[in-house]
Amino acid sequence: MIWLAWRQHRKQGLFAVVGLAVLAALLVPTGISMHHTFTDSGLAECLRKLGTAEFLKPGADCDSLSSVFTNQYGTMATLGMLSVFLPLLVGLFWGAPLVARELEQGTHRLVWTQGVSRLRWALVKFGLVLAGTLIVSVCYALLLSWWLEPLSQAGQGRLAELNFDVQGVAPVAYTLYAVALGIFAGTVWRRVLPAMAAALIGFLALRFVLLLGVRAHFLPISERTYPVIGQIRPNSTLGDWIYSVGIKDASGKVVAANQQIQCAPAVAGNPNGPCAAFGPGAYNFQLYQPGGNFWPIQFIEAGLFTALAAVLLYLAIRQIRTRIA
Amino acid sequence: MSMALEAHGLGKRYRRNWALRDCSLHLPAGRIAALVGPNGAGKSTLLNMAVGLLRPTEGTLRVLGQSPGGNRDLMDRIGFVAQDTPLYPDFTATELITMGAKLNRRWDTSLARERVERLGIPLDRRTGELSGGQRAQVALALALAKRPELLLLDEPVASLDPLARREFMQVLMGSVADGETTVLLSSHLLGDLERVCDYLIVLQAAHVQLLGGVDELVSEHKTLVGPRRERASIAGVSEIVRESHTDKQTTLLVRTDGPILDPAWSVHDVTLEDLVLAYLAYPAPGRAILGVAQ
Amino acid sequence: MIEFLLDGYSQAAPYMQLVQQVKQGLRTGLIEPGDQLPKVRDVAESLAINPNTVLKAYRHLEAEGLVEGRPGVGTFVRRTLAGPTLAGQAELRRELVAWLRRAHKAGLEEEDVVALIQTTMRATFRNDETREEIA
Repeated sequence: MIWLAWRQHRKQGLFAVVGLAVLAALLVPTGISMHHTFTDSGLAECLRKLGTAEFLKPGADCDSLSSVFTNQYGTMATLGMLSVFLPLLVGLFWGAPLVARELEQGTHRLVWTQGVSRLRWALVKFGLVLAGTLIVSVCYALLLSWWLEPLSQAGQGRLAELNFDVQGVAPVAYTLYAVALGIFAGTVWRRVLPAMAAALIGFLALRFVLLLGVRAHFLPISERTYPVIGQIRPNSTLGDWIYSVGIKDASGKVVAANQQIQCAPAVAGNPNGPCAAFGPGAYNFQLYQPGGNFWPIQFIEAGLFTALAAVLLYLAIRQIRTRIA
Repeated sequence: MSMALEAHGLGKRYRRNWALRDCSLHLPAGRIAALVGPNGAGKSTLLNMAVGLLRPTEGTLRVLGQSPGGNRDLMDRIGFVAQDTPLYPDFTATELITMGAKLNRRWDTSLARERVERLGIPLDRRTGELSGGQRAQVALALALAKRPELLLLDEPVASLDPLARREFMQVLMGSVADGETTVLLSSHLLGDLERVCDYLIVLQAAHVQLLGGVDELVSEHKTLVGPRRERASIAGVSEIVRESHTDKQTTLLVRTDGPILDPAWSVHDVTLEDLVLAYLAYPAPGRAILGVAQ
Repeated sequence: MIEFLLDGYSQAAPYMQLVQQVKQGLRTGLIEPGDQLPKVRDVAESLAINPNTVLKAYRHLEAEGLVEGRPGVGTFVRRTLAGPTLAGQAELRRELVAWLRRAHKAGLEEEDVVALIQTTMRATFRNDETREEIA
């Protein structure tokens, strides 16, 4: 049975290896150059000195070095983010055809009438493809994690949208989920193209809902405040995921959404100045997930997708054992 | 007599439609049986249940004395060629034979290779590049490599040209002669199977219409021609299958249970084809199946 | 060894056709005592017919004492039907040829000849049978 599964899917395995090689050929040289620039430009040293203080004094930041760095590699970073779709591709081209192609070509009638049970057939086939998925997605996640390291530190941090989604353990779970969803869709729709379409929609829908609506609330949200009139500013290099900002007045009422403002005490009195509109005692606030929550959130999300993948595989096996002929 | 296949009150429902209903039949071991009926009569459903691909909704089904659902031991003893002879198109015949060897406990690799080779089918060409007839032959060789006690074939020749049809039947009959294999093959055309079958199961509209040994069926049925008579009750006739009248004459196709002695009727033999057509044209759902098999 | 043929339009059952072909072979001297009949498997394969049909034909011939089955070896001819009639056939054939020529001269087409022979044969042999029964 292992021989059969290997013989059937070795070509897909080869494609995956080639795909990974291409990805590595693109990312390894650019990654090395990025790491060098990060160190050589002094940005690494600057960030290290900045430490993990929550607030920074005036002039104590690495903003100029950071912006030089992100300007240099920004486009490349955006391109790197495209790899967020790789798990989906694995789901579409490995998962969806796995059972659907057999049903479409009728070969399930050939293989299920040999001396091997459907359960064993499904377990071996799924097992082999999931093992392949695991290897490929771990390579992909490790590669991207390493590649994104300087960009994350210089820029928005690992928790930021898309940054989060291509590193750590989450992409591995996304890939498992995509494959399981493809397999399950194949057992329901029983044809390759509809199964691919269903997997595409199912994957994107859940990922978007999680990304935009749910992820921020996995763990309690922190709030950080600092006065409108003053000179201490939050340290933006902590990797915090700031997803809502605004200005409140002294009574705690939100007076301006989506903006932050600060005026040095010396110029605060200027009636035409930007800070005049806000009364005394007004302060900026930020709602955020601290950068330190990166791994807990990664594991929560990975756990969720892995559990879903397990449920989908269970349902797929149930379909195979009882529903399909 | 041991039975290769036995069904009692067997039924299969897909959502609200019954593909097979109230189906009771038996196939004695050692026979070559034709399962005949129009498309959609339930032939594939019956065969798929016999190989455990489908589960019956009601009734019982015993294959070689065992229940087929998820029965691995039984699958070792059954060869099956599914409709349209599905094969992995990117596998070569050699690889398919290797697959069979890996998946089955009872498997004769050299026999399968020999059969394929003898027909001049290239062993190392992908089956997707073979002709329909060659693919059917490879599928048959795979089914026979198990040295099955029961061989089930679902419309094996339906999509083949006449030459490939004949070649397929030649190989099948030659292989069956080697052993004690019971064969059940389906077709929507009796003509494909008339020469090869010695047992007949006619299905129509989800019901068994006719069942029994070919020789017995042919000798039991007669065409009677006589003066016009409505609703005739005739000594020696157990059932009137079909009747037609002109203003002076009545023609009946009947099943007999004794000699027709009434001199008013002239008695003619029937061919198997007449018989099947009569039963298909005048289906009687739930028509009692008499003990004709013995 | 003889090769069997099946006539798809014949009224006779396939097994009967095989029996008749063996008998014809025996009459014409094509097969003789000691000859082996084709193996059941080979006949079934070449004609694409049920092996049981071939077996049935061979059993029929066996019951008539014409052939005998030797388990694991094959089926062999025991006696011939040619016998003394074979010698007389040459003479009869000569007479038949002469008669056919006369018929042709008399303007009979091939089909007319066949029809004439068949009806005459039927009438003659039926009369003989009835006479035998009465006797």
